[in-house]
Amino acid sequence: MFGLGDLNLTYLVSITLVSLYVSTAAVLVSATLGLPMALAVSFRDFRGKAVVTSIISTGMGFPSVVVGLLVLLALSRSGPLGEFELLFTPEAMILSQTVLALPVLVSVALSAIQSVPQDLRDAAFASGGTSTDVALLVVREARYGIVTALLAAYGRAISEVGSVLIVGGNIVFSDGTSFTRTLTTAITVEARKGNIETGIALGGILLALVLAVNALGARFRDRTPSGGRR
Amino acid sequence: MTDSIVATDITHGFENGAILEDVSLGVEPGEILAVVGPSGTGKTTLFRLLAMFDRPDSGVIEFDGDDVWSMSDARRLEVRRRIGMGFQNRSLFSASVADNVAYGLRVRRSWKTRVASAVSGLLGPADYDEAVTAALETVGMADKASRDAGSLSAGEAQRVAIARALAPDPDVLLLDEPTSNLDPRNTAVIEAAMRAARDRGIAVALATHDMQQARRVSDRTAVLLDGTCIESGATDRVFESPTDDRVRQFVEGKLVY
Ligand SMILES: Nc1ncnc2c1ncn2[C@@H]1O[C@H](COP(=O)(O)OP(=O)(O)O)[C@@H](O)[C@H]1O
Ligand SMILES: [Mg+2]
Repeated sequence: MFGLGDLNLTYLVSITLVSLYVSTAAVLVSATLGLPMALAVSFRDFRGKAVVTSIISTGMGFPSVVVGLLVLLALSRSGPLGEFELLFTPEAMILSQTVLALPVLVSVALSAIQSVPQDLRDAAFASGGTSTDVALLVVREARYGIVTALLAAYGRAISEVGSVLIVGGNIVFSDGTSFTRTLTTAITVEARKGNIETGIALGGILLALVLAVNALGARFRDRTPSGGRR
Repeated sequence: MTDSIVATDITHGFENGAILEDVSLGVEPGEILAVVGPSGTGKTTLFRLLAMFDRPDSGVIEFDGDDVWSMSDARRLEVRRRIGMGFQNRSLFSASVADNVAYGLRVRRSWKTRVASAVSGLLGPADYDEAVTAALETVGMADKASRDAGSLSAGEAQRVAIARALAPDPDVLLLDEPTSNLDPRNTAVIEAAMRAARDRGIAVALATHDMQQARRVSDRTAVLLDGTCIESGATDRVFESPTDDRVRQFVEGKLVY
């Protein structure tokens, strides 16, 4: 019905690559910041811990257009990050997706870390472990939950449209390949232009990516964790 | 022989008040000390202090004559690494039996060695220390080294946990109710492992609510009641001619906890 011949393959591939690049980078940045945050919140007592925890949980449901707006203000010429001239670049989209993915990652990782029984932490300590050893043990015990957190963050990043549209600008180069056009923003454009076939192809790619991520997550969850549990 | 680990005038509590009051006791190399008392009396709290989980509110804990809370953190870590501990609850990691038992040995290695062995572990099966096999043999679990820890019965898991405490060859072994809820066969294996540890010169401290177990395995007994040590001495003496009336009633079966 929809012949591949009608589709511009270079266009589709370039969009997919931009989406993958931006979301993967956002998840990597989120993980670099978020896993130590999750560990700190569950292991240490510090001032403002309650505030951090509540920011994380409200951050989960933060409207992405609002995040886009705030990142836009921050990156605009007069904003605090204006000097980096990042607005309407893939890196601006990485920034806004990081803001969106981080709370998801931290809260899922946090619940995984907190569900590791205290008895196991105690056993690691009593076996001669330092506090670093205990933290590593906890990460190892929570590994399935942490992978789930990464995948959930990925899902949030790649399927998000509002903020990347605002800070990325949905730009294509004159040769028709994507600069800041992602699968989601491309779909809005193509649908509005009436290019249903292209829109469906993009939607199919996005769906396939999201399904692949979820299938990975299900595989990890289904592997029965064992050991310290009854 | 001087005592390996000595607690003197330990008082400790939580938000809701003092749990331990002026408790003093010590364990010598090559003996089993039983700390007996009903549940809720402070045995676990005391053992956690001996294992240096927390600093006592007051009182001194000495290891080979040195106050463990006046020494540097690095020195205290060294001292901690001469102590092994078994817990009342299931405490095995989600890993194979051998990996569990190797844990204490692994954390004692340098980071360089640890990274190198993690990398070589990815390439081929890990080579397990003889110490791991030896520790598993003392609890009759050597044939299950490659089993997943999660698949073990409660008794087997407790035996592996004791092997994990023994593998680094500690000077002190603290066992907190190692056999509560276990069947007689597993209990017998664990009691034999305690005796074997004692015969190797390890100072063994056993917390139990089971007076009969204390009588079976220990050389000395300290009776803890409501956070105070009400009687202590050679096990035979404590059981045959207790000085405290509550201990007498307990021994004669008139006082049941
Ligand atoms: N972390 C804690 N916070 C508050 N109370 C505690 C804590 N740990 C133990 N307790 C209390 O201390 C008392 C003694 O507990 P525990 O040392 O576990 O006794 P035992 O091991 O002899 O059963 C109990 O009343 C218990 O509720
Ligand atoms: Mg207890």
